[in-house]
Amino acid sequence: MNFATIGQNIVKLTAKYWDKFLLTGMGYTLSLAAITVAVGAILGALIAFMRMSKIAPLRWIAGIYTEIIRGTPMLLQLYLFYFALPQLVPLLKKQQYACVAIALVCNSAAYVSEIIRSGIQAVDIGQTEAARSLGMSHKLTMTQIILPQAIKNILPALGNEFIMIVKDTSLASTFFIGDLMTQVLVVKGATYLTIEPLIMVAIIYFVLTFVLTKLLGVFERRLRRGDIR
Amino acid sequence: MATSDKLIQVKDLKKYYNGDAIKALDGVSVDINKGDVMVIIGPSGSGKSTFLRSLNLLETPTSGSIIFEGTDITQKKGPDGKKLNIDLHREKMGMVFQHFNLFPHKTILQNMTLAPVKVKGMSQEEADKKAMELLGRVGLADRANAYPIQLSGGQKQRVAIVRALAMEPDVMLFDEPTSALDPEMVGEVLDVMKKLAQEGMTMVVVTHEMGFAREVGSRILFMADGKLLEEGTPDAVFNHPQNPRLQDFLSKVL
Ligand SMILES: Nc1ncnc2c1ncn2[C@@H]1O[C@H](COP(=O)(O)OP(=O)(O)OP(=O)(O)O)[C@@H](O)[C@H]1O
Ligand SMILES: [Mg+2]
Repeated sequence: MNFATIGQNIVKLTAKYWDKFLLTGMGYTLSLAAITVAVGAILGALIAFMRMSKIAPLRWIAGIYTEIIRGTPMLLQLYLFYFALPQLVPLLKKQQYACVAIALVCNSAAYVSEIIRSGIQAVDIGQTEAARSLGMSHKLTMTQIILPQAIKNILPALGNEFIMIVKDTSLASTFFIGDLMTQVLVVKGATYLTIEPLIMVAIIYFVLTFVLTKLLGVFERRLRRGDIR
Repeated sequence: MATSDKLIQVKDLKKYYNGDAIKALDGVSVDINKGDVMVIIGPSGSGKSTFLRSLNLLETPTSGSIIFEGTDITQKKGPDGKKLNIDLHREKMGMVFQHFNLFPHKTILQNMTLAPVKVKGMSQEEADKKAMELLGRVGLADRANAYPIQLSGGQKQRVAIVRALAMEPDVMLFDEPTSALDPEMVGEVLDVMKKLAQEGMTMVVVTHEMGFAREVGSRILFMADGKLLEEGTPDAVFNHPQNPRLQDFLSKVL
């Protein structure tokens, strides 16, 4: 391995394939992550409320779902969805991107539901007691007192989940769906270079997550300042 | 005393935890009359908080009944045969907690007007006006737009008291309202409670402030091991205690 050659190759590859990495690859990676977190958050909220429901079967279903998703490898879930979904739902035949997105959403929903549940449960029980003792209903207590406080715990954790997913989407390249890691394979196929595209994508991932982490930090400080006022 | 004077009748109230391993309340019966300032004393773990919190069903009793203004609120159904809505009864029982439990994301004024507006259907203007008047009475009118975190402990507890009063309750329940306060702030909260008692508010107060119990209480209840062991006037309980457990307790706290 010669560092000088690698350096030169990276410069050449950047000139020729920058759009593959920065437009196509990053586009797919970020859109996949955004879809996953957005839909995953909605589903996750649903599962979280099921887990805290008074109705026992709802609690069980949500609990079992969360445990199974968290107890099996993500790559396995991707394979399962990728191969099983098109057979179950004819509409999804040849829709690799959709299958992968659904798999990621289902995975993320389980983790997000835990984020939401612990965010709600982290609100002091005294808040509920005070609200209920004033005659406020369960629903009123939830919407006026608990959720506005819980959201301050939930949003930063959700941001972290987004950053995690940006990295996790790389697993989806197994199915060639166009994300950053897929571009490594594309460029490798065209140039027979492996190390160089890997290094380039590593840099992009790092810059992406670094910037996102910093942005999240700013956002979190804002939230906390809002709390004190 | 006439039946109409009985605000809350507690009959053989029991609260067990872990099956019947822990008997937090072991058969407590007592009538709370209008205008009573009932002070509950007793050693730690004797069931004082459990008793108080059972009165508005923050704790669900294992057995026994609580008849509040003629309705047994421990029943699933009300006297009209419909599902009993505990919220309607809770709004008539103000509660003040050891740790204040103000809503941190709302201003003092919002803390005080939320329930009157959302639960009682009062207009915002009317609720604001009433809240300002109450805040004036505890000397905090100028803090109406502050957030709870900007207040001292004593100020927070005074707000918590007037927040409960804003619902115009028929009885006020206090669970160690001064125990979380720095010593120099205890007086300002006890003063507010004393004024409230003088105005004729029915109060049930769990406290370790024996001075307050003696001076302001109209009836003193002594609890130990989930049981009501002695009850009487301040003079009777503090100067002529009968039960050996009470004598022992007083020798430690006085
Ligand atoms: N959720 C619970 N689970 C199990 N035991 C409990 C629970 N809540 C209270 N207890 C027990 O019930 C008993 C009475 O508790 P309670 O809080 O009513 O006492 P207290 O008189 O208010 O004491 P303190 O002066 O320390 O506040 C204690 O033995 C306590 O450990
Ligand atoms: Mg207690």
